[in-house]
Amino acid sequence: MIGREVAWRIFAAEYNSSRLEIKGEGERAPSYIVSPLGAMVNRVFLVGVLTDLENIGTGDEPLWKGRLQDPTGNFYISSGQYQPEATAALAKMEAPAFIAVVGKTRTYSPEEGTMYVSIRPEKVRVVEARERDHWVLETCKATLKRIDAMTDAKEMTAPTVDELVKLGHSPPLAEGVVKATGHYQDVDLGRYREMVVDALKFLLPEYQSELESEMPTELSQRPEEVEDEETAEAAEEEKEDKVLAIITSLDKSGKGAAWDEIVEEVKRLGMDRTALEEVTNSLLDKGLIYEPVLGRMKRI
Amino acid sequence: MEKEELAPHVSEISRVLGSKVSEDQIEKELDTYLNLYRVSLETAKRSVVRKLGGDPNALNKGVQKKLSELSGSEQSVDLLVKVLSANRKEIEQNGEIRTLIYGLFADESGTMPYTAWDADRFPLERGQVLMVRNAYTKEWNGKPQLNLGTRATIESQSADAVKLPEGMDVPAYGPTTAKVAELLEGMNSVTLTAKILSVETRKIESQEGAKTLFSGMIADDTGRVQFSAWHDFNLKKDEVVQIRGAYVRSWRGIPQLNFGERAEVSRVKSPFPADLDLSKPKPRSIAELDAVGGAFDVLVAGIVVDVKKGSGLIQRCPQCNRLVQNKLCRLHGKVEGQYDLRIKAVVDDGAGSMTAVLNKDITEALVGINLEQAIKEARDAMDPEIIKERIEERLLAKPLEVRGNVISDDYGLMMIVSEARMFVPEVRADAANLLAELEGAQ
Repeated sequence: MIGREVAWRIFAAEYNSSRLEIKGEGERAPSYIVSPLGAMVNRVFLVGVLTDLENIGTGDEPLWKGRLQDPTGNFYISSGQYQPEATAALAKMEAPAFIAVVGKTRTYSPEEGTMYVSIRPEKVRVVEARERDHWVLETCKATLKRIDAMTDAKEMTAPTVDELVKLGHSPPLAEGVVKATGHYQDVDLGRYREMVVDALKFLLPEYQSELESEMPTELSQRPEEVEDEETAEAAEEEKEDKVLAIITSLDKSGKGAAWDEIVEEVKRLGMDRTALEEVTNSLLDKGLIYEPVLGRMKRI
Repeated sequence: MEKEELAPHVSEISRVLGSKVSEDQIEKELDTYLNLYRVSLETAKRSVVRKLGGDPNALNKGVQKKLSELSGSEQSVDLLVKVLSANRKEIEQNGEIRTLIYGLFADESGTMPYTAWDADRFPLERGQVLMVRNAYTKEWNGKPQLNLGTRATIESQSADAVKLPEGMDVPAYGPTTAKVAELLEGMNSVTLTAKILSVETRKIESQEGAKTLFSGMIADDTGRVQFSAWHDFNLKKDEVVQIRGAYVRSWRGIPQLNFGERAEVSRVKSPFPADLDLSKPKPRSIAELDAVGGAFDVLVAGIVVDVKKGSGLIQRCPQCNRLVQNKLCRLHGKVEGQYDLRIKAVVDDGAGSMTAVLNKDITEALVGINLEQAIKEARDAMDPEIIKERIEERLLAKPLEVRGNVISDDYGLMMIVSEARMFVPEVRADAANLLAELEGAQ
């Protein structure tokens, strides 16, 4: 049976943390990205806020790059002349907007051992807030299913697809989980669980008002982050490590470290707000931190 | 090779030699070739036949095939199979009562019904793994059927010699109790408790003459399924029954329940909540449907992730209703096509995807355009594709709930939709419940 690849529901924080790619052998064999929770992704369906959109190509050969934010981080999408339908749709769009994307996974490895993931859209549509909310809920449920499967796999000395299927997990997920447990060491399931809890709170007005009051206003006008993976240097990584340590130490409540407190802390390192933003954006990209709510940073 | 394993080959050689030589002598010769000189079985058999004055070419060629390769016209074929089911049946032949065994064989490639015409020579039992030699096939109802006749032999094999795809295998622990939603092609000895929603009788002609078939619909709290009872159990509408010893066959992926005279049917107290309407379609996930291959009248909810080619305003052949492309029907050549509207949407729930086919009436209601308007719009724009675009505009990336029968083919699951609605999901209550659950567990 030549089945169509299912469109996975996955949050940006989990997707961007993926470091395992399974390349299909042969001409038409599909490739997959295996997430730390065992999602074996070839196609995704996502709904989020299109925060930036730019044509970095030309009029004749367009190449649209966009950033799509969900409650946990950002998806990067790029669409060129080989995606005529999505490219034409993007050309008519303007950020900010709620958009839905059906797309294929893409990876980029600037050097050995590093891997960045993005999305190549097949279909793009402007949608409404309620459709985004529905997606967030569905994605919470899908993430919890993966956490359950990973929890079961952790109980086994050598998890197998058969055993996981016997416990009621679907065969595709069981396969991904076995691959993930073989590749990722010590995935912190508790943190992913907290991420789901935060995403659920995001949907509920009673929590939202409480969280909004903590939100620093200037954050909404954050300057643009520049993707420039090639110039990543050792010095940058050192800064990232320091910021990561600060975020961890400030996150006493478990709700993430408040932005203002991070800014105060990094001043001692001689970093200003702009420099900090560069570092946190990079950490967001790498999937090492995420924003549970606007204005708070949390380690994954 | 042990003596028992030699037996079928000894009898085969004996047949070729026409009982000129005693089986003891054949066995001794064969044993020498095989166990002393260690030549291959094939060579040993040929040599023994030649030595004892027979024609080695009369030995069976021993063509081994997979079940899926059988055409229905094999005169002699060898197969490595697992016995999925074995049912005994007495028949009268020339005034004598004979027992035969019939059921289903399986290998990696699929399943096939068989008949072993002698229960004593072929003591088949469910779960056995066998090398069947010199079987023959015949076509019955347009499908090949396997027969074990006088020339056939069986040899027991180790249990792991046949590895069946998941879900096809015999249940390891005898009879299975199943719910309707769990019924799977090839299941045997199923115990099911369900309510009879309808039953009708039908006279059919079978090999053994006219028979009455009792068929209809039964349901439990997981869904509905069509049944065929090959024996009169005096089934009545609205009764709740427990059926033991049923088996499952599927038609285009839709599992159907069968039970014959060897099954037991008893009336039981309804285990279903009184207010549950069993005749309503039940919601199913696409992954569940994928696992069983199809289902009768179910509800599926998902996101429309694609609107396939061939959706929108199409033309059909007035004679055979096939799609007309470039004014050509595949069967009838150049025809004046008749306009029709339809949607082939890919519905995806995050764990599985299926194609949903929506006919004209459902398309009109869902998209808010009727056929006449669609024809006019397409003419005005001089492009029938604008109707497909309009459908995409309306459906793509939106939640859709569809109802219908789900069948499967080479391209996966397909639902013939009988009802469709776009729905606005209730998010907050669901999210609050889930959050409470998670925080309660922490």
